[in-house]
Amino acid sequence: MNIEAKMDVGGIGAARYVGTRQPRKEDGRLLTGRGQFTDDVRVPGMLHVAYVRSAVARGRIVSIDLDAAREMPGVQAIYTQADLAAVPVSFQTFFFTPVEAPVTLLADGRVACVGDPIAMVVADSRALAEDAASLVEVTIEEEAPVVTIADARTGALVHPERDDNIAAEMGDEDTRLAIQPLLDASAHVVTTRVRHQRIAQSPMEGRACLASPEGTNEMTVWLGCQSPHLAARWIALVLGMPTEAIRVIAKDVGGGFGLKNIPWKEEMAVIAAAKLMRCPLKWIEDRFEALTASSHARDQDVTLSVGFDADARLTAAWCDYACNNGAWPMGEDANIAVHMFMWPCYKLPAYGFVTRGWYTNTMGLGAYRGPWAMESLVRETLLDKAARRIGVDPVELRRRNLIYLPDQPHTSTLGIPVEDITPGECLEKLVANVDFPAFRREQAEARKEGRYLGIGVATYIEPTGAAGSMAPMTGETVHLRIEPTGKVVAMLSTHSQGHGTATTMAQVIAEQLGVPYEDVAVYEGDSAIGAFSPGAAGSRQGVIAGGATWKAAQLLAEKIKVVAAHLSNASVETITIDGGMVHVAGAPEMSRPLREIAEIAYGEPGRLPPGLATGLEAQYRYQPPPMTMTSAAHCCMVEVDAETGFVRILRWISSKDCGTVINPGVVEGQIAGGLAQAIGQVLLEDMPYDARGNPLAATFKDYMLPTIFDVPDFEYLHASTPSQTIGGMRGVGEGGCIIGPPTLVNAIADALSPFGEIDELVLPLTPARILDVIEQRDVSGTRASEVVPVAEVTAPVEAAPVAQVSGIDGDWNMVLKTPMGPQAMVAHFDCDGDAVSGWLEAPEGRQAFAGGVLSGNQLKFEMKVEKPMKITLKYDLTFDGQTVSGKCKMGMFGSAKVTGERG
Amino acid sequence: MKPAPFDYVRPSSVEEACRVLAEAGGGATVIAGGQTLMPLLALRMSQPFVLVDINGIAALKGVTRVEGGIRVGPATRQADALRDATLARHLPVFVTALGHVGHYQTRNRGTVGGSIALGEPAAEMPATAVALGARVEIASVRGTRTVPADEFYLGPYMTVLEPDELVTGVVYPDWPDGHLVLFREVAQRPGDFALVGLVGALVLEGGTVSRAGIGWFGMGPTPIRARQVEAALVGTALDRIDPQTMARLAIADTAPFDDHHASAEYRRTVGARIFARALAETLDLRSAA
Repeated sequence: MNIEAKMDVGGIGAARYVGTRQPRKEDGRLLTGRGQFTDDVRVPGMLHVAYVRSAVARGRIVSIDLDAAREMPGVQAIYTQADLAAVPVSFQTFFFTPVEAPVTLLADGRVACVGDPIAMVVADSRALAEDAASLVEVTIEEEAPVVTIADARTGALVHPERDDNIAAEMGDEDTRLAIQPLLDASAHVVTTRVRHQRIAQSPMEGRACLASPEGTNEMTVWLGCQSPHLAARWIALVLGMPTEAIRVIAKDVGGGFGLKNIPWKEEMAVIAAAKLMRCPLKWIEDRFEALTASSHARDQDVTLSVGFDADARLTAAWCDYACNNGAWPMGEDANIAVHMFMWPCYKLPAYGFVTRGWYTNTMGLGAYRGPWAMESLVRETLLDKAARRIGVDPVELRRRNLIYLPDQPHTSTLGIPVEDITPGECLEKLVANVDFPAFRREQAEARKEGRYLGIGVATYIEPTGAAGSMAPMTGETVHLRIEPTGKVVAMLSTHSQGHGTATTMAQVIAEQLGVPYEDVAVYEGDSAIGAFSPGAAGSRQGVIAGGATWKAAQLLAEKIKVVAAHLSNASVETITIDGGMVHVAGAPEMSRPLREIAEIAYGEPGRLPPGLATGLEAQYRYQPPPMTMTSAAHCCMVEVDAETGFVRILRWISSKDCGTVINPGVVEGQIAGGLAQAIGQVLLEDMPYDARGNPLAATFKDYMLPTIFDVPDFEYLHASTPSQTIGGMRGVGEGGCIIGPPTLVNAIADALSPFGEIDELVLPLTPARILDVIEQRDVSGTRASEVVPVAEVTAPVEAAPVAQVSGIDGDWNMVLKTPMGPQAMVAHFDCDGDAVSGWLEAPEGRQAFAGGVLSGNQLKFEMKVEKPMKITLKYDLTFDGQTVSGKCKMGMFGSAKVTGERG
Repeated sequence: MKPAPFDYVRPSSVEEACRVLAEAGGGATVIAGGQTLMPLLALRMSQPFVLVDINGIAALKGVTRVEGGIRVGPATRQADALRDATLARHLPVFVTALGHVGHYQTRNRGTVGGSIALGEPAAEMPATAVALGARVEIASVRGTRTVPADEFYLGPYMTVLEPDELVTGVVYPDWPDGHLVLFREVAQRPGDFALVGLVGALVLEGGTVSRAGIGWFGMGPTPIRARQVEAALVGTALDRIDPQTMARLAIADTAPFDDHHASAEYRRTVGARIFARALAETLDLRSAA
């Protein structure tokens, strides 16, 4: 289905705005330097913050000497954790669950990574604050740091009070017993390992915070964030303040990517100090801080094995995933989403995995555009490798295994339902528009001349517009009104870091209301307007806020028609609105501007239909289906210089299905931005750490972002299959960053195929690493620098059998480590011989179970739950006196650890 | 900008600049185009007590013919040097190399002397000065001296320049009109410092190389003059030159290192290749690699 066909289904107004390239409402101020970013805001009496940071990755703070710094002119205060502890904080994740690592605002006796903030200097200017910060003398007893995942497996504890360096863990080694025979029986088994480098998020505008205390206990916070609403709620919860006491404003933000989902140590320390000082404080992250002390991303080591039958059809797959969480992750993360979304678009009968996040003495992990993108990278690169191994064309291999529309509804191995995904249809559209045979001919000719061309294809699906399945993922609200002037004002829960939501939402409103696009003003970026939503997180605003504005505009149009019909003594059905004029069918003399209706609606209530509320306002909060899937197939063509290992991107074609396209320019901008980041990840960007835990790319000279020279002109095909949401949109924010990396890697691997395989994909694929493949030797030194492979982690140690316990009857305080964070609950057990019944109670409520079996000190029981999705929890607990430990199998979520003690 | 505090002086003559440098006792830093220094100041990686702005000293700007060579004022903007008719006609190798320094925008501010005095071992201009046998003119209150470019560099960002000294000129010896330009670099992005690069000039007389000046950048702690290959080329007839053999000789003088952008082995491997290819193409040898 194409856009034009979709548009005929659309609006009630005659003017077509949805599907057109309207100029962005934001561009005027942004392109003329009149945007309002946090650093542009000045508040009377504002002071400036600079941080003293750890130059040591791991150690005990022996002393902090502030005397010399305090004497500097212009210094107003210097805080250490001893001072800020007066403001209690309890850090949470984006999902409003507790962070497990003991996060404090400033270092509390120990430092756990280079860049850890130790002291905070408040002065009349940032320069003066930095002058003083340089005089703070910190003595640290340095300890050998844990830097890599391999270090974390065997090294010292990053957080001494914890049992191990496992930050988060899901999946089940036991499922390997079921998967391995399926792999053994497969005609082909292909294994690939991907080591994804650490990424510095590098938004154009670094983190920024201006906290201004007001009144008795109120605070206005200008904050670089992805949702002022979420930030306000989060700050209030973390500080234990009433929500209404915090107002967050963020008119313009220079990129978020996940880094700005929630504020972190530095922003929260500014807010806490502002509370203590009763004075406005500003902190603007500089580029050195942004690169080395903002939450990093990726840093994964993943091995995937996939079986194929003789016809190249998938049989089974096993994945072992590890991710470096750093010291202070924004929520411990084993990245369960990698496994959830690895296979729903393919016909794979069996899948098992183990997945772990590891603490290390490096900067913490944060979300980054498509945080689960590894699923596409490892799967799609493996599929191409399999195609070469088996001797099947990569497109044909996908055709045999992809889920097409006629195959649906379909439920993935791990239980993800898919009803309207179109990866196959996107692939067919791509193949129809790209002359693959011609490229293969050109490739063959070029090889004769010693030129190495390659083509790469990748397909994927992506969950977008999540609402209702995870705590912060909710609906979106629009407050819409027509002013007495006839102009339209929309106040939205959305937020833009360059997403153009003011533009796309205005297009929807203009079309549905029948007014000129220019007459619609959109306000967002302030927690005092709109309503709660997580904003720009999870490719959701076009999907959900688009639906909200769609519906609200229709509701408002209905009211206008009722008023107009009453004034004209006509029936409502005869009224149309177009171009800001209200018409009555068959009575052109009765046409009147919307302004006239609005003036009457506000100022002459007597002329309105009896009982109708005055004014022209509508409000709608849209709760869409829990998840809306976006699909795509991409194709990239490259030339690899076999002498230097350099990659030149020749063409890149996106075939993407994001449903209704509100503004092709905005959609293509999102895809292009994600692909630019993909190119950076595959070819250029890298934040390496040395063995002492020092980040090595401290400026943009060493942290190499793609420039305009590295990013080609992308070509776009839009396969617009409407979704089930109001308006039919699908999310598009993250896709380029997910499908881009495998597309480019596959093109490079295809170009390199005459020389050999990329045995182990180590990113970035520097020219030296490409020569490794071409010359089949270690040109890059990657292998030479590798540490000795560490042994597989042993399965979780079962508690040793102990003497028969005296009984388990009664209450136990247990903690279940779920993918969304740890969940505390009370368990109650009643034993009748070996038969056990009881209940579990969490904040959401109490649920009973029966049919449990106790054998010795081991208890097994099952419990069915409905939320977040229907799954059966299978508990396997071992009691040891006053403590209990074990695991809980949670269907597709694998296994979660359970620990507890007698209540 | 939030640099550490510094005094700012804008002298109008070399003498005045030297006096300020001497009085600062090692605490002064010279600023011309500021393309490297300004970010370093903002990040406080550089914290001078005195910033000596030489943009007001007319004597430090411009390109002039001098006895036996061409003198380039160190405060000459890179963009101006790129447009200079004298350099274009008599020293095209200089112009070729300069075109790879930074970006169009940075060349509007960046200066030739700034690039040379910074001493980045992977930069084009220091290697060009070394390859062509340039001499660096230096002044201080103690007097003036001239240092051959290949003795000017001591290590990464380290030169023989004393804290009270100022580069007042770079003199490139005359190369005959029609000399051949040898230039190739491999950089991850256009405008980046090179992973490996080479620059040089060759003079042909009657089918034989009569003069050669070749330098490497990104191949060691300093720009490196490829003396062994220069010696092997001079006096050799074109039909006797084997690019691969010459490349091996050229690499023999280098001392590349590992960093996170490329390994020493990559630099050696690719350095030899781009040398062979550049030499073959420049000399139009049929046995091109």
